[in-house]
Amino acid sequence: MPRTEQAGPLPAGLLRRSCMAATLTPIIGGMPHSFLALTGISKLYPGVTALDGVDLRVSAGEVIGLVGENGAGKSTLMKILGGVVEATGGEIEIDGDRVDRLSVNGSMRAGIAFVHQELNLFDNLSAAANIFIGREPLKGGPLRLIDTEALNRQAKPLLDQLGADFRPDTKVADLSLAQMQLVEIAKALSLKARLVIMDEPTSSLTVTETNRLLAVIGRLKAERVAVIFISHRLGEVKQVADRVAVLRDGRLVAELARSEIETGTMIRHMIGRDLKTLYGPPAAPPGHAVLELADVRTSYRPDQAASFSVRAGEILGLAGLVGSGRTELARAVFGLEPILGGEIRIDGRKVGLRSPREAIQHGVYLVPEDRKRSGLILSFRISHNISLASLKSLSRRGIVDGAAERREAEAQKKNLDIRCLDTTAEAGSLSGGNQQKVVLAKWLSMQPRVLIFDEPTRGIDVGAKNEIYRLMRELSDRGVGILMISSDMEEVIGVSDRIAVMHEGAIAGFLDRSQFTEENVLSLAVGRAAIREAAE
Amino acid sequence: MKLRLATCALMITAAFAATGANAQDKKALAFVVNGASDFWKLAEAGVKKAQEELPNYDLQFKYPEQAAAAVQQRLMDDLVAAGVSAVMVSAVDPKSSTDALNKVGAQVPLFTTDSDAPDTNRIAYIGSSNTDAGKQAGEIALKALPDGGKCIGFVGLPGADNARERIEGMKSVIAGSKVELVDVRGDDIDMTRAKRNVEDALAANPDIDCMVGFYSYNPPRIYEVLKESGKLGEITIVAFDEDPITLGGVKEGTIAATVVQQPYEWGYQGMKLMAKYLEGDKSMVPDNKLVIVPTKIIDKANVDAFEAELKARIGG
Amino acid sequence: MNRKDLGLLILILVVGTVVAIINPRFLSPVNLSNTANLIGLFGIFALGQAFVIISGGIELSVGSIIALLGVIFVDLVSLGTVNWSVAFAAVLALGCLIGLVHGLLITKARLQPFVVTLCGLLIYRGVARYYTDDATAGFPFGASFPTLEWLVAGRFYGIPHSLIAFIIITIIMAVVLHRSVFGRYLFAVGKNEEAARYSGIHTSRIITAAYVICCGLTAVAAVFIAMYTRSISPSSHGNFYELYAIAAAVLGGCSLRGGEGSIIGVVLGTVLLQVLQNLVNLLGIPSSLNFAVMGSVILLGVLADQQFYRTRKSVARAAG
Repeated sequence: MPRTEQAGPLPAGLLRRSCMAATLTPIIGGMPHSFLALTGISKLYPGVTALDGVDLRVSAGEVIGLVGENGAGKSTLMKILGGVVEATGGEIEIDGDRVDRLSVNGSMRAGIAFVHQELNLFDNLSAAANIFIGREPLKGGPLRLIDTEALNRQAKPLLDQLGADFRPDTKVADLSLAQMQLVEIAKALSLKARLVIMDEPTSSLTVTETNRLLAVIGRLKAERVAVIFISHRLGEVKQVADRVAVLRDGRLVAELARSEIETGTMIRHMIGRDLKTLYGPPAAPPGHAVLELADVRTSYRPDQAASFSVRAGEILGLAGLVGSGRTELARAVFGLEPILGGEIRIDGRKVGLRSPREAIQHGVYLVPEDRKRSGLILSFRISHNISLASLKSLSRRGIVDGAAERREAEAQKKNLDIRCLDTTAEAGSLSGGNQQKVVLAKWLSMQPRVLIFDEPTRGIDVGAKNEIYRLMRELSDRGVGILMISSDMEEVIGVSDRIAVMHEGAIAGFLDRSQFTEENVLSLAVGRAAIREAAE
Repeated sequence: MKLRLATCALMITAAFAATGANAQDKKALAFVVNGASDFWKLAEAGVKKAQEELPNYDLQFKYPEQAAAAVQQRLMDDLVAAGVSAVMVSAVDPKSSTDALNKVGAQVPLFTTDSDAPDTNRIAYIGSSNTDAGKQAGEIALKALPDGGKCIGFVGLPGADNARERIEGMKSVIAGSKVELVDVRGDDIDMTRAKRNVEDALAANPDIDCMVGFYSYNPPRIYEVLKESGKLGEITIVAFDEDPITLGGVKEGTIAATVVQQPYEWGYQGMKLMAKYLEGDKSMVPDNKLVIVPTKIIDKANVDAFEAELKARIGG
Repeated sequence: MNRKDLGLLILILVVGTVVAIINPRFLSPVNLSNTANLIGLFGIFALGQAFVIISGGIELSVGSIIALLGVIFVDLVSLGTVNWSVAFAAVLALGCLIGLVHGLLITKARLQPFVVTLCGLLIYRGVARYYTDDATAGFPFGASFPTLEWLVAGRFYGIPHSLIAFIIITIIMAVVLHRSVFGRYLFAVGKNEEAARYSGIHTSRIITAAYVICCGLTAVAAVFIAMYTRSISPSSHGNFYELYAIAAAVLGGCSLRGGEGSIIGVVLGTVLLQVLQNLVNLLGIPSSLNFAVMGSVILLGVLADQQFYRTRKSVARAAG
């Protein structure tokens, strides 16, 4: 996610370090075989700088670790390499030739292949069929029948090379996640890839599977294939990378040579600024625990249990890396996912929340991450969106009281300062911030006990962001317990009264106001081991 | 009836199980119709009667599950594959099924009924002459309208052979008289549309003198509309076939007369003809290969006797 | 009344005027009354279809349900074992039950509406044919059920009772769809089921209710249609009627993607379809062209609407 320009000025020292890093680049990256060179790559979105003058060189057989916080610009950079997004500035050179516009096809021709977090495989086809999709060997003749034997024969050496333990004709649906990754990598090899980009490849793998993948990276290296390894698991990065590039706020802030790669160093470069809490302490000390989770396990990580409580009048920030299980936990509390173990208590009483309806009946409301899909009905009027959850109380004998509904919408419009001409306008016509306010208005027209915000300000401009934060604070001062999931470090530190950090399905630790530093959050988020490494 | 509905599923399963268990030692003769209708119930009664007289044969009466040429063709192919010795068929679409019918005819003796397929290798056709039936309808109209008048016709599929022959037959008889058939409306065998066609015709031509229902369900619709609009008796109704409402109207005198075919005879005579043919007696097949069972005019005079006969046949 | 409904109304008026000029009998009381009767018959189940389409589904078994419930109703009434009102209640209950089963299969067993109702189409047709042994179910000659006939086939100063029933049902359904909590939830579920669920709406109950309403209204229509034709051959009765219903609903502005539609639109859609059928007969167009005329006029209407809308938009843009 692109971070806004207003993300806070960089300390002068860091700027200098990044300049130094840039001057270092030719020395480290300027190996004779560098076939891909990015120079001064920038990407501007309206109002947002996602990338700012990034240089990156890739040589054959080199493993580059790419690290950075959520929203540092890693994804944008990879999208540019894949030809999905066009850079607004800078140069791309492939084999010494300047490429003006890198298309998806051009990227493929240049030998760049991706192993995505969400695998792009057809799980109804065999591994071999996936590897050669679109390039199947044919038997000839007018029917263009696929020569399945040749298909499997050709796939076998590719899979063997990666140490795969399954047959080429196995259906992808029957493979484990790690095995599917091998299929993706084999596909890349079959396309004569020179660079394989792996985006968080180990996030869902077991320890053994991870080790096997790291070994595969070693083999690719031996085949003179370059790898860009994107991971939050700094230990793994340290293990495989020849070189580490650190992105922060769209800038390449450091390039570390093999000898410089240390977990602590990487974290320092990733953070690089002081974040302050935006608000003072709550008006009153927090009250009793309105929402308690005791050893709750979800299907995401059935082996891990999470426990925490949200107290009345407090904002609990739930931090963690993407994929650490925060959203799944929130979905479980809101009744969208079954709870495999443990219990949820509201006001001290154990409750079974089997559907959002039951959660809502208990006063637990969710402001979802994807508001366009789950929060709003875009083609509905603003007023109808606001009343959607409380319609029964606005009706008599099943018939909606239109006047009462309009009054409520107008009251909420005034209360939340929703900027629209009229509450009869379509919700889809509003800006992101105002849409989010409509979602909030829906819940505020009822009696919230616990409000869960999942990425409350994603895609919202700064002014509206601050308004949302102010509303959150007002609500908590009225005694509502607020649970805020956020990947935005500034937001977590700026808004929370207390932070719980999740790591792989469990709570890695809690931080009080006095302990709020980005380093503390990040250390917990990348796993306890990271703290030890950093301490070393 | 409710009980029956409840046991439907069970019965369907049972029916599937039963079809496989037919005796194979007797020669099987199949009568394949073109779709489900009451009309064929009479033919079925005729086949049953023939079965009594032909104990050495296994007579089968088959309905295709849909009135579609392809479905009927598959049914016949299955029958031939199952070893029937001869097939009598009322082809859904005789014109475009020549090859398919020839294929069946090449394997077993093939007879046609109801609608003929003269271009095929069928042994013979047994059934009515729709042209003759149409002529009889024309005679009814001439008799009922001595001073002449305007008629409008109603039919399911105006383009179908049986409809066209009936219409042509009627026109040939009334040609030159003061009776004229001004229009024929089709309804695609949708009863709602059949009734609405009559209503619309009445609205568009209030001065109409006579209405002709060419398919079995058309006269009842005419009868109902005229009854509802109070024109019963004012407008002459000429009918085909023996729907209970039609016969009731004839009895009442509000329907001039109806031309009926004798499907019972087709079933009865047809099966006996096939059996004879298989035994080597080919004398019953005339040179023109047409065995015409004449159609009858049923009017007030003979309607009671006809109805009694029908009841006896369907009841038996 | 929104823009789309207005366009449809204009199309009906244009078609009606043209027909009336060519054959003034189009406006004769008898003809209007007959057409009104058919609008009533087809409108009742088209309204039901609209509910299902708004929920984001489709109900393909309408024609088969009309055949099955029709033969059952005629059979129960003509046998005289039960009073017609009991028979009506039984048929209505059976219709609702069919809708409930469809709804549960779609929401609980998570089957696609198309598959469930397509199977329904085949099953009910088959059962109807088996029920009568493929014979035509009808009343014996001269059979008369004065109250029943007056109720469903009678006319009040030339206004057919089927139209009156249709108007009453339309008003009730308009309130349900456009004014009730259920109606709002139905639109929400049809437009964005996920957001509706996130707002605490019991989405599967809403969807099931849409099918119950659809099949219940179809049952009412089945009785009216059965009493109109007074004779039902189960193999062809009601064939393709689901398409009339879907066409009327879609003409009336229902989106097959769900979440859009209005009762007034469906009513206008039904009126247009029936006027087109009437036109074929009144203008003496060969019956075989019936469907072709229907398709062409609808297509032209939709095209004209689109064109008109575009022109107006570009005019507005030029002015702005």
